Amino acid sequence: MADEAPFQFLHSEVIQYVFGASDSGDAETGRNITKVESMGFRVGQGLIERLTKETSRFKDELDVMKFICKDFWTCLFKKQIDNLRTNHQGIYVLQDSKFQLLSHLSAGKQYLDQAPKYLAFTCGLVRGALSNLGVKSIVTAEVSIMPACKFQVMIQKI
Amino acid sequence: MECQEEKPIIYTMENKPIVTCAGDQELFRSLYTTLAQQLPREPMEWRRTYGRAPKMIHLEANFVQFKEELLPKEGNKALLTFPFLHIYWTDCCDTEAYKGSVKEDMLRWQNSLRTHASPDWVIIVVESNDNKKKNKTNILPRSSIVDKIRGDFCNKQNDRCVVLSDPLKDTSRSQESWNSLLLKLRTLLLMSFTKNLGRFEDDMRTLREKRTQPGWSFCEYFMVQEELAFVFEMLQQFEDALVQYDELDALFTQYVLNFGAGDTANWLGSFCAPVRNWSGLLLRRPIDMEKRDGIQRGEASLLDLRSYLFSRQCTLLIFLQRPWEVTLRALELLHNCVQELRLLEVSVLEGALDCWVFLSCLEVLHRIEGCCDQAQLAANCSHTVGLWAYATDKLKSLGELCGLVSEKGPTSEDLNRTVDLLAGLGDERPETVHSLQSPYKKLKEALSSVEAFERHYLDLSHAAMEMYRAIGRLRSARLVGKSLAEFYMRKGDAERAENFLQEALKSYVSEGWSLPVTHTRRQIAECQKLLGRTEDYLQTSALLAGDVNLSTEERKHFCQEVLTYAGKPGDQSHKVTLSMSVFTELTRLQFHPAKASVHSGAVLQVELTLRCLMPVSVHLQQLAASIHFEVNHGDTLRRSKGHQRQTNQGTVEFSLGSSATGGMPASALVPSLELDEVQDRSPTDNSLNSTAVVCRNTHLLMRLHDSSSSSSSPPDTPNCINAAPVAMKEGAQMLKVQDVTLEPGNNSIILTAPSERPGTYILRQLCVTVGHVQFVLPHIYPSVQYDVYSQEPQLTVEPLSEPLLAGLPQMVKFTLLTGHYAVKKGDALQLSNTETMPVFPSSSCSACILSPADELVGESLLSIQASEKVTSISLPPTPPYHTLEFQLQVLCIIPSGSQRLPNERLTNGEVRHRPRSYSHPDTPMAAIDQRMSIDCPWSIYSTLLALTFYIPFKTKHSLLSAGNRKYIQVWLRNVSDVNFTLADVKLSEKQQASLELQSLNTKTQQLLCSRHSVFCLWEVRWKDDLPLCLQCVFSANFSPLNQDVSAFKPFHYQFQLERVPTLYSVKAEIFPPAGEQHCRSGLLCGLEVCITRLTEPAEAELAEDSKTDSDGLKTTKLMYEVADSSSNWAVCGRSSGTVSMPMAANATHKVQIEVMPLFAGHLPFPKIKVLKYLPHTPSTTIQPDPDSCLENDSLSLLDKTLEDQGDTASIRSRGSIHSVGSNEHQQQRSSTMPRLEPFSPGQVFNHSQSQQVLVLPAADDHIIEVNAT
Amino acid sequence: WRVGIAVIAKENYPLYIRSVASQSELKFHYTVHTSLDVVEEKISAVGKSLGDQRELYLGLLYPTEDYKVYGYVTNSKVKFVIVVDSSNTSLRDNEIRSMFRKLHNSFTDVMCNPFHNPGDPIQSKAFDGIVSGMMVQTG
Repeated sequence: MADEAPFQFLHSEVIQYVFGASDSGDAETGRNITKVESMGFRVGQGLIERLTKETSRFKDELDVMKFICKDFWTCLFKKQIDNLRTNHQGIYVLQDSKFQLLSHLSAGKQYLDQAPKYLAFTCGLVRGALSNLGVKSIVTAEVSIMPACKFQVMIQKI
Repeated sequence: MECQEEKPIIYTMENKPIVTCAGDQELFRSLYTTLAQQLPREPMEWRRTYGRAPKMIHLEANFVQFKEELLPKEGNKALLTFPFLHIYWTDCCDTEAYKGSVKEDMLRWQNSLRTHASPDWVIIVVESNDNKKKNKTNILPRSSIVDKIRGDFCNKQNDRCVVLSDPLKDTSRSQESWNSLLLKLRTLLLMSFTKNLGRFEDDMRTLREKRTQPGWSFCEYFMVQEELAFVFEMLQQFEDALVQYDELDALFTQYVLNFGAGDTANWLGSFCAPVRNWSGLLLRRPIDMEKRDGIQRGEASLLDLRSYLFSRQCTLLIFLQRPWEVTLRALELLHNCVQELRLLEVSVLEGALDCWVFLSCLEVLHRIEGCCDQAQLAANCSHTVGLWAYATDKLKSLGELCGLVSEKGPTSEDLNRTVDLLAGLGDERPETVHSLQSPYKKLKEALSSVEAFERHYLDLSHAAMEMYRAIGRLRSARLVGKSLAEFYMRKGDAERAENFLQEALKSYVSEGWSLPVTHTRRQIAECQKLLGRTEDYLQTSALLAGDVNLSTEERKHFCQEVLTYAGKPGDQSHKVTLSMSVFTELTRLQFHPAKASVHSGAVLQVELTLRCLMPVSVHLQQLAASIHFEVNHGDTLRRSKGHQRQTNQGTVEFSLGSSATGGMPASALVPSLELDEVQDRSPTDNSLNSTAVVCRNTHLLMRLHDSSSSSSSPPDTPNCINAAPVAMKEGAQMLKVQDVTLEPGNNSIILTAPSERPGTYILRQLCVTVGHVQFVLPHIYPSVQYDVYSQEPQLTVEPLSEPLLAGLPQMVKFTLLTGHYAVKKGDALQLSNTETMPVFPSSSCSACILSPADELVGESLLSIQASEKVTSISLPPTPPYHTLEFQLQVLCIIPSGSQRLPNERLTNGEVRHRPRSYSHPDTPMAAIDQRMSIDCPWSIYSTLLALTFYIPFKTKHSLLSAGNRKYIQVWLRNVSDVNFTLADVKLSEKQQASLELQSLNTKTQQLLCSRHSVFCLWEVRWKDDLPLCLQCVFSANFSPLNQDVSAFKPFHYQFQLERVPTLYSVKAEIFPPAGEQHCRSGLLCGLEVCITRLTEPAEAELAEDSKTDSDGLKTTKLMYEVADSSSNWAVCGRSSGTVSMPMAANATHKVQIEVMPLFAGHLPFPKIKVLKYLPHTPSTTIQPDPDSCLENDSLSLLDKTLEDQGDTASIRSRGSIHSVGSNEHQQQRSSTMPRLEPFSPGQVFNHSQSQQVLVLPAADDHIIEVNAT
Repeated sequence: WRVGIAVIAKENYPLYIRSVASQSELKFHYTVHTSLDVVEEKISAVGKSLGDQRELYLGLLYPTEDYKVYGYVTNSKVKFVIVVDSSNTSLRDNEIRSMFRKLHNSFTDVMCNPFHNPGDPIQSKAFDGIVSGMMVQTG
């Protein structure tokens, strides 16, 4: 990621492209969200492979999550996750108080209804990265006031 | 497994640094014990050269009496025997004695030391009170002797002389002096060590630097460095000692490698000597002197050197409590030795090395067991297991070498080989002679007999496997298992073998390692064949036949195995059932027709695409698919559901994902997650609280993960390790084909599906039969189904060409979908006739029969009998679900005009519906719906069909008058799209014979194009007098353009004219003002209206007027009105008024009115209206006549004519229309008021109609404004 | 074979497996498969022993009489295994390391290639090329 700007723009365009066509029908939206997420998934897989090339082996799950919050996030968004919480039973909550992909949308409630579209890809990124690190998970996200948002990672215990 | 009955003793090296003692031996002996004890008590810090870390060490010493010969000769590098410190003991305390003897002795001692350059000495003066007591004489102060000695010997190093006072007393003072003494000794010893070792190491290094020089010998150097090692060991510095050996090890290794690389060192020669002895490692002595001597003498073989080196390292490691390092190093060593011997091309008797390795492994293991308890051992399997496995391998290869692994024991040369091998072991070492389980004994025994060998080999193998299992190295365990299996195979014990193989196979399959799978499976096949387990064998063979890892030949072989069995003669009843996946894969299933839903009895084909895995083409007796049938209620509904389940257009792809190479990721099994967005709105105001991306099927994913995690196996190779006995459900309905041949690769096979009973058919299993062998696919997934439905017969009729025109014969097409009904001979359709739409049964009327696929299958003439009530059409026999089509010619009769028919009842009692025409939105033509009721053989109810016809014409009529003369005009418009020729246009009057209608129409035939009209005109001629009312019938023949005369069809139009005769004539005249030639605009001029009665009032009129006859005068009241619509005129004064006309012919009435032209020019006369004036009567008699009412809305045609009259009337007077249009209503509204009633057109004739008068402009050229009221 | 190289998926099925001479290919497969035992052991041993700095390079998995098996595991739990003939003594540890590094780099490129579907066997010519290169230089 030389510079975040191109990524941001491309991302926005992708969202426009995917959702722009058919903004009607909840089923449709759901499908599109899933589509974008799966794009993210593939990217996450590749990206993490590259990022972890130099790092030493991870100690445990938490170690992995930390990497996601620090290096991974920094590489993507030029900043770290602001807050990582876990219940130590496979649920992690990553809080980004100024999520880059939302920051240029609005500061507050405006366009809040549009926000999820702009989170799907990142959900995929995280899930892809984790799965490639051998951590199967489900990643969801929530926004109440932009550009802050929360990602929830639910680990599938083996 | 080694029992503990003999524990090898760990020999510690008893040599300690040597310290010589000269002087008073008596004295020394008295102090020795204390000294020996005390010296090691306190540790000393040893600062070391070459920047090595300082160490705290406990010094011990081996005190020996001083002898000249103990002192090191020149050049002797021995360190072990080197005296590090020399002590001189004395307790003399009087000068005489000292001077007399002691000093001499000391001098001698000193000299000998000096000559041998041994600078490390100390003199200890022991003083005690009691020897003072001995000789009271010439006692000197204590110090003096010491001072003397110091003076004499230690010039300015006074510390070389130490005082020990009252050593045997237990006083603080004696303690003190002891301590200082000990400290001193330790310090001196260390100093000596440092000095001497330092020197030694330097020498050693220089020697090592020489190693490239020709004369250099490794063995010599070895001895030197080992010396150092010994010293370190002696000083308990095992770490340092080990380092020495490791350095030697590395150095030697390097030499061997270099040798391999090409440059040889001459001294290596000895090590390249052929191996004569392979008695294995010996780890039970701290120093294996015989080997050491061998090395010293340069006679050691490579194995000797390695063994010795390792035994030393082993000893030290065990001192250092690092037993597990021993095992690891041991394994490396053994491997390495084997390599080095190869590298050096040392000739070794075949199997000798195996012996050596085997013995060595066990030796190491024993050694370790010797110094660890069971718990430790158990905890550290991971370190020992390697050795166990290695030993097992070696024993196995030995067994094979010595022919101990074959069913029939060893051959003679096997035995010779064995003897030679055993010879190389030499005699058993004394250490182990008494232990029953020594490696030596084991090997000897194992090689002695087949049974013994088996026992030992199995012991080892199982030990190794258990350990591997214990530490979770299952793959390794299985690999051992596999070689065990191979052993069993050699022994012909296929049963045991197979178990191990199966276990191994499982893991290879589950982890998708195709090559091992193939290999193992092949071995299994062998076992199964031996065991005569036919089914399993066939299953495996089939798998192998389809295995791409094998060569075509092999595959063919296994395929043949299956086929030969299948082909064996014998009862077909017993069949071997195998899983289909081993034989062929169902990749694709296609329905024809694609919608996979047909009517019962129709042909439905199922095309299977089978990928045959066999290397050769295989002939199948039968391929069958079993079906589960369910009747379904609500046909259509189920059908649609079926379609949803079916994939696109009746094609189902089966993804077996069984790629020949490489496993698929397990993720393929897990369902993809479904996300969605949700919005959380606040309950109060509906504003958004938050939005989120959520997962719809979390629970599913989580659950599925649990299940799949257990078996995350790539579906790489067919997972059936054993032929899962899958039985074909018999009795069920089946799709079958007999005798098909499957070529390798994709085959397409077409089955015909049963489709008698309506319902849903679900394909369950697939079964292929090859002779005795059946391959069964137990579940077809995703589920495949087709539907069979049944359909009622349907009769429909439609125009052959739109639109159907009324009045002309038209072709209509009858279509009969037979559905489940088969039309039998003699079946007929019964049309009940209607005279409004007769059917014309043409003789050449043929029906054609179409198959469901719409191709023509038959054509036959229809026989149609028409009685006056019904027309019966007898149908040709038609199979179910076919289509029968035929055409009939019908004619819809155009209802003509006002003719009234009483509503008579039909024979069948129902009211005959009279087709009504109505105006159709999307065509100007009036439409008529014709319904026909048909009785069909398949139903007791009669089918009702409707056709819509369109009337191609519109007609209007009007009555024109000229004074008394009357004309009738009929206007005929062709509203259809067809061009017609119109012929013999006629107008006739029904009642009045006297009446004559003289046609003023010239043409007999004329063209009437689409959207065009014709006007026809007749003059009415009559003799005595003109009837009030005329019943006219307009009639014409018409036919589509350019058709022969026969094609002409009649068209009738009835209408009636009332109040035909002219009653009054109205004349108007305009007089210019007096003295004027012409009228002038703006000047008043006179208008004279003259109304004249033309005829005697007829009875009808009288009757009519008698109502108004109030004062008995025979007059009719008229009302006139001058109304100037175009405001050319200003009427001055009364513009209207009533006049009463006497009831006599030619009675005239004149009215004068002043009018003023408002413009100049030729102005039309102002309008003059004349109306009937009926003063008020309390009349209720004039009721709206219900019948006429009915007429009015029922016979809409008539309605039209009414209106039309209005229209035509309006040519004359606007005013009249509306009153005419709605007179009934007026009547009802104003029955009591006096009312006006218009004359019907033709009753009043206006002479001055459209007459004009010239008006000159006003004299003074300006227009006067006048308010025209 | 002088040397063989294998890439094994997270789930332990081979993604890529190649050895110089094919006559003992089978043995090579067995060896690699068995080596997974030790790989797993080493991976699971993470953190237990204080000393280890959790390198991706797992070092010598185990020696046998005829060959040495070296292991390497990416953070994505993909294993690389290099098997070298014991007689091939020229090979130093750091050379093995750099071989693994090369492999890992190339593998990463494969992973980032849109035409590669993660989890599928490696078809990449580029990767193949790298491997061949190693085989030549070490073989």
